Amino acid sequence: MILNKKNLTPLLESMAAGRDVFVPARVDGVAKFALFGEGVECAFDLVNTTMPPKDLLFPQTQKMYHFDVDANGNYRIREYDESREQVVFGIRPCDMRSIVCLDEVFLTKGFVDEFYANAREKLLTVCIGCASAAETCFCESMGVDPQAAPNADIMLQDCGEVYRVLAQTPKGEAEVANWAAFVEEGDAEPVACELSLAVDMDGVVDKLEGLYDHPIWENLSIKCLNCGTCTYVCPTCHCFDISQDMRRKDGVRFRCWDSCMFSEYTMMAGGHNPRPEKLERVRNRFMHKLNFFERRYGMSLCVGCGRCVEKCPVALDITRLIDDIGACDVVPVAQAE
Amino acid sequence: MSGIEISHGCAKGERPLIPQVCRVVEITQETPDVKSFRLQTLDGKKPFDCMPGQLGMFGLLAYGECMFVVSAQSDEWVQFTVKKVGLVTEQLHALCVGDEVSLRGPYGNWWPTEGCKGKDMLFIAGGIGLPPVRSFLLYCLEHREDFGRIDLVYSGSKYDDLVFKEQLFEIWPNEPDMHVHVSLYREDPQWSGDIGYTAPYLETLDLGPEDGNRVAVICGGPSLSRTCRESLVKAGFDEGNIITTLEMRMKCGVGKCGRCNMGGHFICLDGPIFTLEEIGRMHSDV
Ligand SMILES: Cc1cc2nc3c(=O)[nH]c(=O)nc-3n(C[C@H](O)[C@H](O)[C@H](O)COP(=O)(O)OP(=O)(O)OC[C@H]3O[C@@H](n4cnc5c(N)ncnc54)[C@H](O)[C@@H]3O)c2cc1C
Ligand code: SF4
Ligand code: FES
Repeated sequence: MILNKKNLTPLLESMAAGRDVFVPARVDGVAKFALFGEGVECAFDLVNTTMPPKDLLFPQTQKMYHFDVDANGNYRIREYDESREQVVFGIRPCDMRSIVCLDEVFLTKGFVDEFYANAREKLLTVCIGCASAAETCFCESMGVDPQAAPNADIMLQDCGEVYRVLAQTPKGEAEVANWAAFVEEGDAEPVACELSLAVDMDGVVDKLEGLYDHPIWENLSIKCLNCGTCTYVCPTCHCFDISQDMRRKDGVRFRCWDSCMFSEYTMMAGGHNPRPEKLERVRNRFMHKLNFFERRYGMSLCVGCGRCVEKCPVALDITRLIDDIGACDVVPVAQAE
Repeated sequence: MSGIEISHGCAKGERPLIPQVCRVVEITQETPDVKSFRLQTLDGKKPFDCMPGQLGMFGLLAYGECMFVVSAQSDEWVQFTVKKVGLVTEQLHALCVGDEVSLRGPYGNWWPTEGCKGKDMLFIAGGIGLPPVRSFLLYCLEHREDFGRIDLVYSGSKYDDLVFKEQLFEIWPNEPDMHVHVSLYREDPQWSGDIGYTAPYLETLDLGPEDGNRVAVICGGPSLSRTCRESLVKAGFDEGNIITTLEMRMKCGVGKCGRCNMGGHFICLDGPIFTLEEIGRMHSDV
């Protein structure tokens, strides 16, 4: 089945009836996923957005529940479910891979995060493959195929004039059944995407076992500003803080994105901080991406989207770190969980 | 792997971030800045069942929530012992019996009560480190025949800072084959007992590894943990027979919010209880 690119706008208009459809767009100069509708110009020319789509599943600020305090000082909790049917249209394969990682974090290991789970269940994912890559893309080295996303409900492979449509889940099949007016029978050949940036991950996870106290981290962290940009633009970073706001007798408990690059993140009562310097924080961040997550969930937490490479104000570059690790003369340790 | 086997990542639960509203049914002033709170659900039941050593997020909806070890439990209540150190704990100290609080849990792993069966137990704690250890100690006393000799080495900076004084000085010393050793870090007009920092004091007691048959449990601040661990290793203890509980800033309690990691492990979910041998194999900033 193929979808002519000319039909994208009418298709989106039909999909947006009764549902929120998010598309890549430039809003006030920032490329991000925005609600399709008047005044929002789809930017399918963008390889990837500056802001990742993770906020559709894990909003930057999310109310968890309300509470009131009555005249006797007694509490009542009122639950809150903000989740609703959403479509993300035009998400890229690297960002689809990030959802595999987020699913692991929020849905496994004994506790299901209901806020994420509710949003996840109601999200339809329509992935558009990449015919060309940005200078900073290195997804292929991280095991992502720029023209494939096995976990997307619908995959649209870029074939130049047309997309090749693959309904990959029952939800995707049900959706595509409504697309008859926009698609046609036929097949097309996906354009081969050429990436200019690559890293060699061979042995990196295992070598990192022996590099915890290596000068590599000092050299890397020395220029870091601890601004947190890399964590906010990262599609897999998922740390959050929990806090509350109380106005008179009406309160709300919410969570919001946090960053391991900030020293308060691990600051404990009494002033002890296990990661007091940027050395420890930078090391923890990159170890988490390249080793800790791999050991815990069997996959890398870096998907090769290149956002941090592009946005870090001091050009701290994970691909160069990977090169440096590869060049280190240490014995790789394959450590089983 | 040698030494005591500990379960990790074994807590499970539904709707982990939503607390239940509970009521404070009893408050004990343990020291000038430590209080114990017994909590029940609003309809008078025990809020949750848990294993000794497990954790709860206890707090006030309007101020926030903090992680504490369940320091004691019965069929009707769970108890937390709280030191006043910051924003939320200060508000908790202002609570009265009958007040409502928020609680979620249980989280984390538990003391290896099975794995320690038949062993001599050496508990080492400083200051507010005793409440977490107490749940294990109480278990040993309840199942006295399952354990050998029990030693408790406890210290604090002032007499006033010692928690659970009644148990320390009246109850526990009279338990069969239980030996309580208390020291203060410096002289105190209210104190005529031993003086010394925990580690050197521990060394004077000459409690050896008994050919691997003695298990040590340490709970205290970073410097107490480090020095006592060095003393024990020097005395011949295998690191697999030294158990400790780790602390890190926490928010979610269920391995999602990210902050309490030690290498690829989350202290809230996989811990807080580990052997030193396990910690030695992790990439630890803690
Ligand atoms: C596994 C574990 C068991 C603990 N058991 C006990 C106990 O039995 N008794 C006891 O008195 N204390 C215990 N603590 C420490 C207790 O959680 C902190 O003292 C408390 O969170 C401080 O909160 P605060 O709001 O008063 O301090 P603030 O400095 O105002 O902290 C603000 C917030 O940061 C977080 N935070 C700060 N310090 C810590 C910390 N050390 N650990 C976890 N979160 C922190 C909390 O969410 C807190 O509300 C334990 C901590 C952990 C991790
Ligand atoms: S974006 Fe760059 S400077 Fe900012 S915290 Fe990340 S690595 Fe450091
Ligand atoms: S407290 Fe959130 S991961 Fe441990």
